[in-house]
Amino acid sequence: VIDRHHIRIRLTLWFVAAVAVVLLLYSAAASFVLLRDLRTQLVRHSVQDVETVEGLLYFTPQGRLMLRDDYHNHPESKRVLERLVEVRSPEGGVLFRNEALGSRSLGEILLPHEGEGGYSEREFVLADGLRVELVSRRHAVEGHPTIIRVAYSEDSLRRQFRSDLLAFILPAPMILLLAGVGGYVLVSRALRPIQQMARKAEEIKSDRLHERLAVNPADGELADLARVFNALLVRLEQSFEQLRRFTSDASHELRTPLAAMRSVGEVGLQKDCAAEAYRDVIGSMLEEANKLTRLVDSLLTIARADAGQIHLSPSRFPAKDLARECVSLFEVLLEENGQSLIVDGSEDAILCGDWLLLRQALVNVVHNAIKYTPRGGTIAIRIRESDGHVTLQVEDSGPGIPEDDLVKVFDRFYRVERGRSRESGGAGLGLSIARWSRNAWRHDQRANRKGKRLHVPDRSARPSMMQGMTVSPRGINAPIHLPSGATS
Amino acid sequence: MENWVNILVVEDEPKLANALREGLEAACYDVSLAKSGEEGFYLLYSTSFDLVLLDVMLPGRSGCEILAQMRRNGIGIPVLLLTARDSIEDRVQGLDAGADDYLVKPFAFPELLARCRALLRRGGPEKPGRLTLGGLTLDAGRRTVSRDGELIELTAREYELLEYLIRNQGAVVSREMLARDVWKESARATPIDNVIDVQIARLRRKLDDPFEQKLLHTVRGVGFILKEDTERS
Repeated sequence: VIDRHHIRIRLTLWFVAAVAVVLLLYSAAASFVLLRDLRTQLVRHSVQDVETVEGLLYFTPQGRLMLRDDYHNHPESKRVLERLVEVRSPEGGVLFRNEALGSRSLGEILLPHEGEGGYSEREFVLADGLRVELVSRRHAVEGHPTIIRVAYSEDSLRRQFRSDLLAFILPAPMILLLAGVGGYVLVSRALRPIQQMARKAEEIKSDRLHERLAVNPADGELADLARVFNALLVRLEQSFEQLRRFTSDASHELRTPLAAMRSVGEVGLQKDCAAEAYRDVIGSMLEEANKLTRLVDSLLTIARADAGQIHLSPSRFPAKDLARECVSLFEVLLEENGQSLIVDGSEDAILCGDWLLLRQALVNVVHNAIKYTPRGGTIAIRIRESDGHVTLQVEDSGPGIPEDDLVKVFDRFYRVERGRSRESGGAGLGLSIARWSRNAWRHDQRANRKGKRLHVPDRSARPSMMQGMTVSPRGINAPIHLPSGATS
Repeated sequence: MENWVNILVVEDEPKLANALREGLEAACYDVSLAKSGEEGFYLLYSTSFDLVLLDVMLPGRSGCEILAQMRRNGIGIPVLLLTARDSIEDRVQGLDAGADDYLVKPFAFPELLARCRALLRRGGPEKPGRLTLGGLTLDAGRRTVSRDGELIELTAREYELLEYLIRNQGAVVSREMLARDVWKESARATPIDNVIDVQIARLRRKLDDPFEQKLLHTVRGVGFILKEDTERS
């Protein structure tokens, strides 16, 4: 059994993973924007600082470039102390380095166009590995052209970035935890109806198939699931019931000839008989063995049909040929019984179907009619054609079928009068096979009071649907209505 | 004519095997029994047979495997497969393996004998035009029947029935055989037993009733036989 929590945990993990990915993307985007803003800010400050430095530079009488001491008076000038400042001549000579920079260089080589057009900025790594943001500007100090470089360590920028980022990341585990718990609760709630259904379904054993799952419309799609499951249960219950009845009927039908065989054999052995009498005993037993053989054959036919293992080979033929064939098969029997069998109705109705199968269906129904029609009675096969259906109706002048039994005549092993018909050799499977043969065409069969109707639809309009079709008697309740005028 | 015909029966169910042996011996065949495929295979190499009756469901190697092995080894003896499985796939498998015929259990013994005769006759002279039994003469060319010189009027079905019986004279034919070979009924479940019985009764009325010597006999529980002696009736 699969762990009940499996799907919940999986869904929750997926949910948490999705939230984590979203958080990560959000953090990355936010960091990028933050870093860019911080850097822009830094450059702006540096540019201001360059302007401050410009105002403070002067040449001593000895020709040395110096920063004025009174810069301490201006608050913005104080920041210049923390900056690294270097001033070079256009030829590259170092004119000035402030204390913070000391003897370090902000780049021995002047880049082409460095400091032109207001100012230029770039990142730079000092010889000791310090990363700085460097702003250069060309400026004339007392008539001498110089290049002023002001650099600002990125350390503070990174420090700021790190602390901002931390503000993003620190709550992430908390968010993920909340997402996980929330997700788990949500999924559990969504799955609860399924769990209830599973528990209920578990309780429904083969002896309690009449029970159904509760359908709660509030469950939405899951209510559909319950409905589908209930429909499945209905079908399951039906086939269980069918199987149960079939098994008990079959065992009864099999036991009867077996019992007869056994008794005849035992009684025959008890006394000393003449060879002729023994022959009679053996013959009697063989008759029962034949009955059993026939019964097993019929059961196999039905079982194969149930399993959809019988393949059809459809062809087109006139319905009256089928009827005539049936008449000629039973001609002698009819004559002997003084019965007459007439075929009437549409002369040119065309059937499309499996000849052998339809023939077997009709033969079984007609044979049934012959059995139940008294001497001198009349049996009629009427061929009717309407709305693209061909109906073969078999009517007999027999006792008819009691109203209550109409639905049952096509059931397996069913006989209207059990005692009487066993003498005539039937096991009650003929009409069942007939129904199945006809149901291969997925049409409803109706029995009426006087005789039985074998309703065979004409498939000439859509022969393609028949090709390679596998028979399934489950098609009983799925009639196909052909468009009217389908026959030609 | 069929004396000294050797038949090998490969069947593991002892009751059925012995019944087959007795029945075939009663029909004047020499019968050897093998209880397994290996035993049968050994016998095939040590003795010469005219026909093999091979059960499909054998312990160890299945009948189909043995049959295929036989055919690979170039043994062309006719083989009649006996099996309890009758789906189309099973038949095709059996025939593919090289079987000459296929009989589904439970079978009627007369049917088995008829199949054996057919397989043994294969290639030999077939269907003489004029068949006789006692005073009965059937002319297959003109489709006429006469007894002691008197012409007997028969319907088409009666004639076919009689021709089948006379071709199998001296052997019992079952209702299944008649249904299949005379009525051409393919489905075993089709209910025509009483049609056959009525047809037999009618034939008997024309064939036997006017004569002292009865030819058409019913063997209870098995079928019908056309023969001269009246011991069984």
